[in-house]
Amino acid sequence: MTQINYMNRLRLDERELASRRAFFEITDEDLARLATLRAFGERHSTEIVDALYDLILGHPESRTFFTDERAVARVKKMQQQYFIGLFGGRLDLAYVEDRLRVGAAHERIGLAPKWYIGAYSRYLRLLHDRMFAEMSPADASAAFLSIKKLVAFDMALAIDTYNAANMDTVARHQAAIRELSTPVIRVHHRVLLLPLVGTVDSHRAEQIMETLLLKVVDEQARAVIVDIAGVAVVDTQVADHLLKTTEAVRLLGAETILTGISAQIARTIVQLGVDISTMHTRARLADGIELALGIVGRVIVAKEA
Amino acid sequence: MARGSIPILRVANNLLVTVQTELHDAIAEAFQEDLLAAIEKTGAAGLLIDVTGIEIVDSYVARVLADTAKMARLMGTETVIVGIRPEVAATLVRMGYTMSGVRTALNVDEGLALLPRR
Repeated sequence: MTQINYMNRLRLDERELASRRAFFEITDEDLARLATLRAFGERHSTEIVDALYDLILGHPESRTFFTDERAVARVKKMQQQYFIGLFGGRLDLAYVEDRLRVGAAHERIGLAPKWYIGAYSRYLRLLHDRMFAEMSPADASAAFLSIKKLVAFDMALAIDTYNAANMDTVARHQAAIRELSTPVIRVHHRVLLLPLVGTVDSHRAEQIMETLLLKVVDEQARAVIVDIAGVAVVDTQVADHLLKTTEAVRLLGAETILTGISAQIARTIVQLGVDISTMHTRARLADGIELALGIVGRVIVAKEA
Repeated sequence: MARGSIPILRVANNLLVTVQTELHDAIAEAFQEDLLAAIEKTGAAGLLIDVTGIEIVDSYVARVLADTAKMARLMGTETVIVGIRPEVAATLVRMGYTMSGVRTALNVDEGLALLPRR
């Protein structure tokens, strides 16, 4: 995902930017003050970035992200640009985009937020020391507060980027699971098979129904076999979902055959008092297939020897 | 909309109706009256209602359709409803309205095959 996508993803438009600026209490005064310190920033950038990487490369865990010397030289250069950017005196969408790029780069290499929050803390200490060494206490204090606001603003962006990337990953996985959970297989011309595995809750049942109904119309299926051999628990709710699906399939003009009913499931269903006598049911999938083929006017016959 | 707005076709000994407008209350009632009058007049053996064109079927419309089928049966005419959309079927079932007793088919071809050939 590029940083442009993160801009959209985080809904970072002028309005959101203004809202964030207000919350982090970053005033035009702060930005103007930082702009006057640009020379200060440039003068110290190499030294401060070096000190930052002393921290990162000095820690046994954070070091593992930067094993290649050339890569370190490259990220140091990027870091230096980032650092000088703090003294640009502007806080617009271009600035945000630039910051998101840094966040996205960290997310890509799997650098968890704790590492860059720690790094920001070191940044602030280094700046604090140099500001108070070179300026009057009043000036240094004002400058430090201004830079602290901007750093907090940047940290929020970095964490948001990280979160958004994680959410995308979760969403992708969920979509994959959804797809895996309702594989509708075409067994024969106009005969479909839906093997159910795992647990069937209301949410999944809804989804199974929707997927199945669309498929029935797509394939103009006359018979649908639902195999529940792999369903962990068949309770009243699951039975109810299956009945509803059967009814919906019937409304379209097709028939449902429920297979994979073990002795255990049969006992449960009767003991629960669920009436599924309106459904075609079979113990074994093979029998269900035979029944389904009968519905579309086919029979399985033995080959002549 | 007035009566007679949904054309009823006669094919052999069956009546064929394609509903292409949303059936809100007034139309639904006129539609039912029209159909029953046509059955009375023709003595058709079968009635096929194609609802492919309907995207929204509420409980009222579902009941009108189911009732029409029951009324037709009383008059000796078999009814088949074809082309219920997946989302419509899902909605009806969710509302607990399954139109039990009404025969259904995937398309007009199959629906006609279910009707008596006399």
